[in-house]
Amino acid sequence: MKSKTALIFNVLLVIVFLFAFTLPAFAGKTYKLGMSLAITGPTSDAGNPYSKGAEDWFKFVNETDYLGDGDKIDCPIRDDQYKNDTTKRFFEEFLDDEILIFLSYATGANLALKRDFEEVKIPVIPASYHEGLIVDANYTFMPVATYSENAVGLAEYVVGKHQGEDTPKVAFFIHPSAFGRGPLEDTQKAIAEGLKIDIVEVVEHGTDLDNTAMLQRLVSKGVQYVICHTVQTPVATMLTDAQRLGVSAGSFGEKGKLTFLGAHYTGGSDLIALAGTATEGYIWADSYNLTSENNEKAKKQLELAERYGRDDKAANSHNYGAGILAAQIATEAIKETKAAGLKITRGNIYKTMQTLNFESFAAAGPVTYSPTERIGVDVMNIYVAQDGVFKKLQSFESQYIQKVRAGR
Amino acid sequence: MSQNRWLATGNFFTSYKQEQRTFFTHLDRTIFTCFLVLLFGWPLVFEISNKYMLVLDNILIAIVAVMGLNLLLGFAGLISIGHAAFVGIGAYTVASFSQVIGDNHVFITHFWPVVIVCAGIMGAIFGAFVGLPALRLKHLYLAIATLSFQMIFEWFIQFMSFFNQGQTIYVGRVHWFTGMVGRSDHYLFWYYIILIFVVVLGFGVRNLLKTKYGRCLVAVRDNDRAADAMGMNPGLTKVYAFALAGFFAGVAGALHAYLYRGVGFESFTLHASVGYLAMAIVGGLGTLNGIFWGPVAIKFLDIQVEQFSEFVGHYLTYAPNVATALKPLSFGLVIVLFLMYEPRGIANWWRIVKSYTKLWPFRY
Repeated sequence: MKSKTALIFNVLLVIVFLFAFTLPAFAGKTYKLGMSLAITGPTSDAGNPYSKGAEDWFKFVNETDYLGDGDKIDCPIRDDQYKNDTTKRFFEEFLDDEILIFLSYATGANLALKRDFEEVKIPVIPASYHEGLIVDANYTFMPVATYSENAVGLAEYVVGKHQGEDTPKVAFFIHPSAFGRGPLEDTQKAIAEGLKIDIVEVVEHGTDLDNTAMLQRLVSKGVQYVICHTVQTPVATMLTDAQRLGVSAGSFGEKGKLTFLGAHYTGGSDLIALAGTATEGYIWADSYNLTSENNEKAKKQLELAERYGRDDKAANSHNYGAGILAAQIATEAIKETKAAGLKITRGNIYKTMQTLNFESFAAAGPVTYSPTERIGVDVMNIYVAQDGVFKKLQSFESQYIQKVRAGR
Repeated sequence: MSQNRWLATGNFFTSYKQEQRTFFTHLDRTIFTCFLVLLFGWPLVFEISNKYMLVLDNILIAIVAVMGLNLLLGFAGLISIGHAAFVGIGAYTVASFSQVIGDNHVFITHFWPVVIVCAGIMGAIFGAFVGLPALRLKHLYLAIATLSFQMIFEWFIQFMSFFNQGQTIYVGRVHWFTGMVGRSDHYLFWYYIILIFVVVLGFGVRNLLKTKYGRCLVAVRDNDRAADAMGMNPGLTKVYAFALAGFFAGVAGALHAYLYRGVGFESFTLHASVGYLAMAIVGGLGTLNGIFWGPVAIKFLDIQVEQFSEFVGHYLTYAPNVATALKPLSFGLVIVLFLMYEPRGIANWWRIVKSYTKLWPFRY
């Protein structure tokens, strides 16, 4: 009797063990991705909410079985502190872990690693929208319109809205680096292609806390529009100074005053927090849907943020949305590859990404890639700061950027 | 001198020649040889990931750069806050070749040892030039002069289109006797190359310090007027101290360019200069083994704090951005603590350990 009980006990034990060890086989597959960005250090005001957006989306995917069959995504998010050398180290670490897609961040790091991406044939989704990342590169998939597209688009918008027969006089206020200079060069190429604006002055800002002299000089030169391509802090300083000096335009293109416009990283809720009422009237080009739009897309973003306990600042940041979009692109690529019955490898994901097409609640338009098109969301929204929020004026697609690209 | 060259105790020098030995005892030589064999041999036994190999390569490059800085600051007593700019000169020498003749030109890919030496020479030329103010300036004023060089370097690189305005300039893959060094062997290959440079240059410094030129450096540091009175040329000594430091930095820069297969401005900023200074201080100024301890300690600290601030960054909101402050805070704290409590650096701990083992089993 005793031996019979022991036998049953042993059989049960074996079954339990077998079940326990085979359980992971039924739990679905785990796909490894890697993300490196500035959670701390320079530009972390953008990188931190970006990382939270991506993190929340991947959590959502895993919790809701978004990929089906219990498949999950494992995406370690590393803080490179905006340093190329550190990004390189993380990239090597991710390669050791055999990741399928690399979600990267800074312009400099992406340019430094461009050759590595080509060598290891890994699809890359950057947070930098520098045009140079997709020039002579096959594996970089830009989520949204490039900085150059923003700048040229804004110049086209100025031409379209400018009152009077004269050529609009424009100044560029840019970051003192290739990040700032790249879109300016492309705007100059657009001018060579026939875009009718006159670039009167290019200001490469430093860390000035007062822009009085610069603003007075621009006014005295007859400048009406200032197109900014930099980060939010210097723009906030300039807008505050312009308000103090009374040179901000009350309406678009007001004569004798300055109308300020800017690309992706110059605007958003953080700019309003920094510059307050001085932001009123600021025109901003961006390819993300803002929560201030209060539409269905915005609700989904806020729901996701609420689900994972994010504060209002992060939830309403367009950088949070940018992080979600990058993570969504990676997720959809895996999902589509799986749906096509292909094995999940870098090569197959790359093939899928070339025809990836889906709607995202974080973006202003659909994500559409093709074998010749490496930009996901081509459409830009033109926003204006009004009553403490950015409101959409219209959707816009740059025409001249195509000519600039064709001329390369 | 003791008859038994294996014993550390009871060794007394009876001639200058004996004092000039590289290794005072056979035991020293044997331990050093074993250590060297270990450094060259371990990658053949243990397989290590590229990530860690990159960290090791970086530490070795920092050792080359700090060798130069320690010669300048530790042995010659001349402060430089622009050492990263000298490293940058070396890296941008490689980048310049790359820009002019193409990054896959045979000169860059096959004759890379020549390119590295050229980069060192270029660093030495710039070092000598920047060292000219040292003829008139001392202490804080000299620090400001070298800081100016750092600023000028940064400005030039960021604004000259030839240097791609600071964005990455690519450097091709190098060739070895077995053909092109591919991605899988890249970091291991450079580990050995940089290690060879470290050993050769380390012996170079050791031997330099035994010559009259090395002694001149120390004499000028201690009292340049007295050194002058003794028949030395303090001006020339200061300039060649800068040239030597520039040479080491230039070599380190070229190695960095080849390791990363590209040159970008951000690796050679003022922040990097302060990092090299910290390595020299923490390691131990004016000591040979401090050259090795400093980079190892600072890079290790760097990675640990990086992981900690990353961990904190994930859980804090980005508004106060406390996590960002952790790295500079810990970095500054380490330097201050070392300056306050152990100004002779980790090298002094090594000295104490050595003294203890010398007398063991007797009490220290």
